[in-house]
Amino acid sequence: MKAKIQIARHAELPLNEDKANFFLQISTAISVFLFSIALAAYFMTSSMISSWNKNIVDGLTVQIMPPAETLSEEEELLRTNKVISFFEGLDGVLKVRKVSNEQIQHLMAPWLGKNADIESLPMPKLLDVRLKDGKTFDFEKASDSLKEFAPYASIDNHGLWLKKLIKSAGSLKILSLFVLALVLGATVFSLFYAVETSLKVHQNIVEILHVMGATDSYIAKQYAIRALKVGFVSSLIGIGLGFLALFVISHLSSGLETGLIGAASLNRFHWIFLFSLPIWCALLSMGMSFFGVKQVLRKMM
Amino acid sequence: METRKNILTEPIVDIQNVCIRYGKDPEVLSDIKLTLEKGSFHFLTGKSGAGKTSLLSMMYLALKPSRGTVMVFGTNVGYASRDAMAGLRRRIGVVFQDFRLLEHLSAYDNVAVPLRIKGMGENEIKKRVKELLSWVELDKSMDKICSTLSGGEKQRVAIARAVINRPEILLADEPTGNVDNDIASKLMKLFVELNKLGTTVVIATHSKDLIAEYNYPQIHLENKGLKIIPALRRI
Repeated sequence: MKAKIQIARHAELPLNEDKANFFLQISTAISVFLFSIALAAYFMTSSMISSWNKNIVDGLTVQIMPPAETLSEEEELLRTNKVISFFEGLDGVLKVRKVSNEQIQHLMAPWLGKNADIESLPMPKLLDVRLKDGKTFDFEKASDSLKEFAPYASIDNHGLWLKKLIKSAGSLKILSLFVLALVLGATVFSLFYAVETSLKVHQNIVEILHVMGATDSYIAKQYAIRALKVGFVSSLIGIGLGFLALFVISHLSSGLETGLIGAASLNRFHWIFLFSLPIWCALLSMGMSFFGVKQVLRKMM
Repeated sequence: METRKNILTEPIVDIQNVCIRYGKDPEVLSDIKLTLEKGSFHFLTGKSGAGKTSLLSMMYLALKPSRGTVMVFGTNVGYASRDAMAGLRRRIGVVFQDFRLLEHLSAYDNVAVPLRIKGMGENEIKKRVKELLSWVELDKSMDKICSTLSGGEKQRVAIARAVINRPEILLADEPTGNVDNDIASKLMKLFVELNKLGTTVVIATHSKDLIAEYNYPQIHLENKGLKIIPALRRI
C-alpha cells in the first residue's frame, strides 16, 4: 500500500499534462451518462416485465356489467356477491376482492378526469381474483361455467394482451442491453486508444524507465492511478447528468401515468447500483488502463 | 567447491557471435565475441559510427542482437521474460551520451528514480540522493527542474542517477565530455572507486588523455569487429 502511494506521489510520467486527458474525461462522462440511461431503461423494463408476468400468473379481472334496468342497492350487492362466491368456490383461487369505486376512479382518471362521478355512470363492477397458481388454473372452464352461472359477468384474461406487451418490452430490454454493450465497448476502446496515444507521446520517458529497470507493471500503475481519478470524477459528472435526465423523463411522463406505467419503477437495488456506477467505472478504467498499458508495451518494446 | 569456483569466475557479460543491424541496413557489428569478468574496467573506443552506442545498448538490454547469444549475469537475454529483463536492468547503471534525463522532474527526483523503481522507502532515498548530489556538487541545484540545468550539471545528474543504485555493471557513454577537468577527474575517481568495490565498468570515450591517464584495457571497435587492447600498466 505504501509503495502504491509513493508511486502516486512520484509519478515519473507527466500524465496530468496529457492533452488526451480532456478527451478522456469528456468521453467517459458521456459514456457514463448513456450507460446510466440505458441501465435505468433495462432495470425498468425488467421490473415491468416481472410485474406483468406476475399479473398473468397470479390474477385475473372479472367484469360485472351494469344491469339493463335499475336495481336496488341490495339487489346489486346480491348480484356481485353471487359472482364472488362463484370464484371463491373454484379450485386454485386464493382471494377475490371487489375493486373499490376509488380505484376505478383512479384508473379512469386519464379519460374521465379526477373528479368524475363514477357512481352515476353505467360502469361495470370489477373483481380482482388472485390465484394460487395461474399456470394450472383452467381459464376456459371457469369462463364457460361463469357464462352459465352469471351471464352478466365475464372474465377479462389480461394475460393475452399482457403477453404482447411483455414481448414488446422484451425487445426494449434487449435493445437496452445492446446499448449497454455498445457504450461499454466504446468506453473500453477510447480508453485503450488514449493509453496507446499517451504511451507514444511519452515513449522516450517509458524507454528511460525501462532502462532503469522499471517493469511494465510499474509504468502501468501510473496510468491506472490516473485512470482511477479521471474515471471517478468523469463518471460522477456523467451519472449526475444521467439522474437529471431520468428526473426530467419521469417528470414529463408523470401525466401519462397509468396502472401499467406505474410498474416501470426502480427498486432499491437498482438505485444502489446506479449510484455506485462511478465506483464501478473508476475501477473498470483503472483495470483497463493497467492491462491496456501492459498490452501496448508488449507490442511497442 | 567446483560450483563455488564456477560462480566466482562466471562472466558478468558474455557475448558470443553477435551481429547487430538496424532493419535492412548493413550490419553495424558482425560476429563479435566479448566476455567481461566481474570487477573489470574497460574503455570502449572506436571511431564515430563504429558501433560503440549499439554495443552499449545491447549490454544495457535495450537492443536485441540480430543474431548470436548475449548472457548477462548468467541469463540468456534472448529467453528472459520481460520482468526478468527488468530485474537484470536494475543491476546495471547507464550514463547516456545525451543524458536522457526526465526533463520535467527535479535533479533530486531524477536521481531518486532507480531507488523508487526498486521500491526503497522515501527516508532512505532522501538520505542517499542528498549525499550523492552533494558529492557531485549539485546540492544547491537538487530542487531545480532538469530542463533549467547546464550541460555539465545535467551530466552529473545523469552519472549520479546511474550509480545511486550501486550497480554491478556501469556503462557510460562519454561521461566526462561536458564537464570541466576538475569535475571530470572527480567523476573518474568515482568510477574507479566503484570498480574497486566490485562494479564492472565500461566507459565509451574518444578522449586519448583519459585512456592514457587511467590506462585500462580497451574494447576497440573497428571494421564491424572488436579487439581487446590490453592495458600497459595497472593503476
